[in-house]
Amino acid sequence: MTALLSVQNLSKRFGGLQAVADVSLDATAGEICSVIGPNGAGKTTLFNMISGVLRPSGGRILFDGVDLATVSPSRFAAIGIGRTFQNLALFKHGTVVENILTGRHTHLRSNVLDAVIFFGRTRREEIEARQRVEHIIEFLEIEHIRDAIVGTLSYGQQKRVELARALACEPKLLLLDEMVSGMNQEETEDIARFVLDIRDDLGITVLMIEHEMRIVMDISDRVHVLNFGRKIAEGTPAEVRRDPAVTEAYLGGHRAEALAKVGA
Amino acid sequence: MRTGDFKQTYGELVTLVDSPPVWLWSAVLVAGLIAAPFVLNSYALSFLMIILITVVGTLGLNILTGYTGLISLGHVGFLVTGAYAYAVLVSKYQMHPLVGFLGAGVVPALASLIVGAPSLRLKGLYLAITTLAFSFIINTVILEARWLTNGARGISVQRPEIFGFSFDSDAAFTYLCLGFAVLTLFATLNIRRSRAGRAFVAIRDNDTAARVMGINLHAYKLFAFVTSAFITGLAGALYGIYLSFVSVEGFPFLLSIEALAILIVGGLGSALGAVLGTILIVLLPEATRFVFSLFSAQIDAVFTTGAQELKSMLYGLVIILFLRFQPRGLVGAWHDIRRMWVNWPLRY
Repeated sequence: MTALLSVQNLSKRFGGLQAVADVSLDATAGEICSVIGPNGAGKTTLFNMISGVLRPSGGRILFDGVDLATVSPSRFAAIGIGRTFQNLALFKHGTVVENILTGRHTHLRSNVLDAVIFFGRTRREEIEARQRVEHIIEFLEIEHIRDAIVGTLSYGQQKRVELARALACEPKLLLLDEMVSGMNQEETEDIARFVLDIRDDLGITVLMIEHEMRIVMDISDRVHVLNFGRKIAEGTPAEVRRDPAVTEAYLGGHRAEALAKVGA
Repeated sequence: MRTGDFKQTYGELVTLVDSPPVWLWSAVLVAGLIAAPFVLNSYALSFLMIILITVVGTLGLNILTGYTGLISLGHVGFLVTGAYAYAVLVSKYQMHPLVGFLGAGVVPALASLIVGAPSLRLKGLYLAITTLAFSFIINTVILEARWLTNGARGISVQRPEIFGFSFDSDAAFTYLCLGFAVLTLFATLNIRRSRAGRAFVAIRDNDTAARVMGINLHAYKLFAFVTSAFITGLAGALYGIYLSFVSVEGFPFLLSIEALAILIVGGLGSALGAVLGTILIVLLPEATRFVFSLFSAQIDAVFTTGAQELKSMLYGLVIILFLRFQPRGLVGAWHDIRRMWVNWPLRY
């Protein structure tokens, strides 16, 4: 299996702060990969570089065999990178449908002049886009809120709309930044089910940042662990769980030693 | 109480208006406007013309400030450029009025590329100041380019004759303005419901997310500037024809403020709001004058002598009152009333 995404020795420096240092990781097509690590480990910075929000200070990112440094950030969506944000980044004055339609942007062709006339090709294109959006709405089970203004929805619903918008881009790689933070048990299980369906039914590779360990351990094929901007471990969920470096990063050195002594 | 709103095809989901009553009432309104010149006296008719011309101009500003969220204090610059483009082409070089209108759109659109370029890096107040500076620079350029614009003397403009039909009478010119207003309204609504309009709104609400969706921020900010300036320029040409004389003094800076006041009062980012706001703001000074004249003739005289100053004060007052009590503008109030009416007598 070839890697859809290959991050090689990636670094990002903000002034004196080394947010991401020499991180390499691969995401194989058809996998669900997780990136975990304590707060401030550089996970979101890593995502920002993969999705074109930030330019890396060093290293490179290969997506589908293409070096992303050669691609304009506004083209990232077109070549197949979709993402959601840690703190909601929806167009909050629009309806759910409008938000998801915005995700179709790179798949539509009409310009301002076509829009003024709104006839023939433009109209057909809009109808087709709307049809796709309805499929996504059905897929994520948000039919009942489709005409609601996004700003009026609950946090969990907004997260789901953001997922819908990312799916509307028809990405090959979907980056999910803390999808289930602040969600209750039931909502979390829904999201876990959707992520599995996205991989299995839509064939989209998923790379997710997650603090909620249950979802990470249950559905990931591969887990990458970051701490202070560096990668400290990688492997299947079971391997990562046993890795002493990971325990130390999460619990601190003394606790890890103590746990080792009592044989936990 | 209305229930059920069923769609059977996807085509029905992308229509402009899906409710027959809205079409009916819009048709009634247009019919009323067509009949208006036969009913109104020339004083009232001049207000109707001003409202229709202002609707075109504010819809233009709405695309930039309402949809894309880029604040412009210099839209009077596009207005005056459009008016001069028309006057120079039609009065000075005797071109066809349609060519004049085309020029009135294209010249400001080109000028907007110059002002729009800094907007790629500037936001909020900084952009507002840049556009403000533009409108003053344009005035200086017009005054200095005497060979083209007659400088401070201005250019007189005749009402146009298009394909043998003369728009010389007040009634005919009202129809011309009505035509422009209706077309602009359709154009704006169509932009809003398509890819470009969604991109504009996405930039306003969250530019990082917009970029991740694949929206080219630089390109779409410039599109917004160009479209906005094109429409505003057309309004400028109409206003020049209405004044029958184009000069820098005819387009005071107050017009920029008036346009922003209209958008705030109407409800930012809504075409309907721009129309409602225009009606309120254009008629406000006259309505105020009327109310006060009931009490005293002296106040009436003050209104006649200090019209401009009183206008600025009124706009300021209205903006403050709306921001405090009805921040969603007239269109927000309209939505509330409509919801109440649909559910009446139940609360919801």
